[in-house]
Amino acid sequence: MKLPPRTFSRIAAGAMLLAAPGMALAAARVPHGAGLPWWAWPLILFTTTFLMGIVAVVGGIGGGVLFVPIVGGFFPFHLDFVRGAGLMLALCGALASGPGLLRSGLASLRLAMPLALAGSVGGIVGALVGLALPTRVVQAALGITVLAIAGLMWVTRGSGHGARHGADRWALALGLHGRFHDPASDQMVEWKVHRTGWGLASFFGIGMVGGLFGLGAGWANVPALNLLMGVPLKLALGTSGLAISIINTSAAWVYMNKGALLPAIIVPSILGVMLGARVGVRVLKAIKASTARNIVIAVLFLAGIRSLAQGLGF
Amino acid sequence: MAHFDESLQAEQRVYADWLAWGTRLGFGALVVTYLVYLSGLLAPAVAPQRLPELWGLSLTEYLAETRAPTGWSWLLNLGQGDMLNLVGVAVLAAITLACYLRVLPIFVRARERVFVAICVAEVVVLVAAAAGVF
Repeated sequence: MKLPPRTFSRIAAGAMLLAAPGMALAAARVPHGAGLPWWAWPLILFTTTFLMGIVAVVGGIGGGVLFVPIVGGFFPFHLDFVRGAGLMLALCGALASGPGLLRSGLASLRLAMPLALAGSVGGIVGALVGLALPTRVVQAALGITVLAIAGLMWVTRGSGHGARHGADRWALALGLHGRFHDPASDQMVEWKVHRTGWGLASFFGIGMVGGLFGLGAGWANVPALNLLMGVPLKLALGTSGLAISIINTSAAWVYMNKGALLPAIIVPSILGVMLGARVGVRVLKAIKASTARNIVIAVLFLAGIRSLAQGLGF
Repeated sequence: MAHFDESLQAEQRVYADWLAWGTRLGFGALVVTYLVYLSGLLAPAVAPQRLPELWGLSLTEYLAETRAPTGWSWLLNLGQGDMLNLVGVAVLAAITLACYLRVLPIFVRARERVFVAICVAEVVVLVAAAAGVF
């Protein structure tokens, strides 16, 4: 059944309008979710993550980056379990999109592999540090990180094509160059990378932040690939997703071995975001991307403030 | 400078195929085991009715309160509804490892030494993480 674009616009606007009061309602956080039957919370979580899935796709970000600050700040679950779920959420989204991106050439396995290795090691370090630090410290650091992400998204919202440049020594040795077909322009786009060493260092740091907070790292991977290493934006977006599927795997195992993955939180969240993302892809056609991105930045800003305030004990 | 090496295309295609099948398997397992958990067919290690008083605890407090298994010991408790859910999670977390093991011989055959090394290093990192070394 095909619905007209205007209907999708209304759905998108409704989803975004619902998300804000939903968060405000949840802000009156009830300790441990008292007063509601156990099954109500997974149901609320499913609904919330469904909306998040729509907003995430329309805003051009991964669901994980919205999930951890919002669910960690406004739901009765401890941050340890929220971070584990956020990590699985980002992992599942990346796994699901990986095959299509690889087959279409919009992700490069060869480009992702060295960066993901650095990120995997960083992810393990981050997961171990995150599970060892006091919750308040992690919550405050999460707030600062989310505010920084909102700032980064604001600053880089106009970025586009990779700059013209020569390949560096490492990139030549690794064969990090190629070309892909851009369906939008119906042209073959040639690419090569530079500043490979800095790129590897960045991915270690990004992996660490991802493992520490359970965030997907597309918000940082894409600028690192596009602005730092000079990869064209479309290839950067696709390769970032593939890298997340590799990097988050290592941290997911750490969380799983420590017993921090609660099925009652993980499964409704994954299903909600995945279904929401499918709707979001259709909504994307009917809504102005820049407007959606600005809404995401505003939501992240609010969630970041909330997380920081909780961490500081307000 | 165009770079269209047949072996590279093959390795990317193979990785995509394995990723697609593994993801389907993982999601399928996740949904089916969650339905089993919700249906109550298998008694869980932690009763769902207790969750609202437990999920607000830190991981350390939660483990002390529930004595839930850590590491791979969940495999010994697959008869419990909540532990069975971890099968789907484990499959999803194992897909990347399987994909790397599948493309490794392609790099070896192509004598791509740097990528063989990267592949082996990633496999070591993932196996160590999965084994609970960290």
